[in-house]
Amino acid sequence: MMYLLILAGIVTVYGDFITLALPLAVYLLAGYLFSAEEIKLEATRHLSLERTSPNSEVTVTVTVRNHGSHLAELLLEDNLPADLSIRFGHTRHLIQLAKDSSYTFTYRVAGPRGGYGFESVRARINDPLRVTSREVQLEAKGQLFVFPPVTRLRHVAIRPRRTRVYAGLIPARVGGTGTEFYGVREYHPGDPPRAINWRASAHEEDVLYSNEFQQERVADVGIILDGRLLTNEFAHGHSLFEYSVQAAAALADALLSQGNRVGLLVYAAYLRWTIPGYGKIQREKILFSLAHARAGGSNVFADLEHLPTRLFPSESQIILVSPLHENDLNPLVQLRARGYQVLVVCPNPVKFELSYLSKNRNVKLAARVIQMERTLLLQNMRRAGIQILDWDVAEPFDLVVKRRLSHPPAWLRAVGTIGL
Amino acid sequence: MTLIAFVLSVMAGTGSLAYGYSLKGLTDPVRWFVLLGIVWILSHWRKYYWVSTLAFFLTLLGAAFGVWFRFITFWMLLGALGGLLGWDLSDFGMRLSYAAPTDDIQGMERRHLERAGIVALLGLGLALISLYIHIERLPFEIAVGLVLLAALGLTRLVWGLRRY
Repeated sequence: MMYLLILAGIVTVYGDFITLALPLAVYLLAGYLFSAEEIKLEATRHLSLERTSPNSEVTVTVTVRNHGSHLAELLLEDNLPADLSIRFGHTRHLIQLAKDSSYTFTYRVAGPRGGYGFESVRARINDPLRVTSREVQLEAKGQLFVFPPVTRLRHVAIRPRRTRVYAGLIPARVGGTGTEFYGVREYHPGDPPRAINWRASAHEEDVLYSNEFQQERVADVGIILDGRLLTNEFAHGHSLFEYSVQAAAALADALLSQGNRVGLLVYAAYLRWTIPGYGKIQREKILFSLAHARAGGSNVFADLEHLPTRLFPSESQIILVSPLHENDLNPLVQLRARGYQVLVVCPNPVKFELSYLSKNRNVKLAARVIQMERTLLLQNMRRAGIQILDWDVAEPFDLVVKRRLSHPPAWLRAVGTIGL
Repeated sequence: MTLIAFVLSVMAGTGSLAYGYSLKGLTDPVRWFVLLGIVWILSHWRKYYWVSTLAFFLTLLGAAFGVWFRFITFWMLLGALGGLLGWDLSDFGMRLSYAAPTDDIQGMERRHLERAGIVALLGLGLALISLYIHIERLPFEIAVGLVLLAALGLTRLVWGLRRY
């Protein structure tokens, strides 16, 4: 506009146009004059915690140093990852920053389960009149992992057919040293006297019998977390997936604490496989994988037919955490037929949906029908030798596990004794 | 502080234009300028900051139109200056809305008002000087040459000061 006025003044040979343009010219000139000559900013970030639990607050501290010229107006905005919410403080600040000085701001964030990457801080540098404006992204990386809450489980009784060679807590179906009675065999020289079964030995004159205990070893456990939209997502944005993740985390933690070798497969829009391992590092890996687990749908993994069973050692324990779908029966029976010991931890979708639906007659009738279908499905699975833990998510998972999984069921113990 | 300055600038700008036009007996434009001022202030209050740019353009257009039709230049000049300050303060108000409550907002406001005030006074002073100092019989070619020379000089001045 200023140039137009000057042009008009020159063309019309009328000086008042130029007079009108003079304040604008002074304004522009002042803006250019006071604009920053050299922009040299550096940002650093510090997170009070890098691993946390859902909705726990983490303090983020960002420091911006100015190694360039004086900045009269600097707008800083930290690019916050989606899903994180600010609990205290602000991510955006308007400041002036003198040469060779720094500015630090802090804020507290919290968020749901997930992995969050902080990338950069946006800096917009204006001259005092904002005639010139420049924007730069200052790299300030940071990572925050919000792990799922891990419920401590005292003991999870599993009985895979095959165990590994290392000592552990899983009955190995092999006689030896242990705590659980396994059988009676003929006395061997070297057996401690307290191992002699005097009652059995009294039946014969020349033979002594010793008690044999079941060896306890570690086992291979594969946890499959079902993240299919088909089974997890319900109307009005309700989802069972978070409960499934919590159950998977608790089971992985408990089984690793028992010394087992545990792997995790997230079966959702794609497969996310955590290679089996032992100990605390494996616990971290599994929690890391669970932090990133998202429910998703795909045509390929719509049912469990494409479950990559080769990932799991033969005759090992498989724990499927899934609300289950009616089409899941055959794949699970096939798993069982291949020799895997299958435990299905099943967050109950019927009770979950009923908890937020209105309790009218139609809903109750529909719930009854679906519950009957589901009971039938679970019965068929049990008949195939699949262990089922039907979990009403309104109840704490640790209580359910304590009640139902702290000892193997009678039929499984019987199977274990005859050494199948 | 900025809000008060903004309202005063808009009132001064649109008021000057309205007064300048009313001196020539034009009543309709007067109403339009008053309406423009009210709409400008209300839109700033409602945070429609884009209206500011449009309003600034309209005030400049009004001032240029007035100058073209030989209205009193002083009032047109005040109108343009008020428009410029109103636009600047509206934009600054928008930038201030990005600031956190813990930031030194008052300090920034004070510094900005000082700078904008000095720039406005300087612009007004230069414009007033140009209004009252007339060089008779200045050929057009010389005027163009002077303008180009001034532009070159200003550019060199800016470069020199920036290096310093």
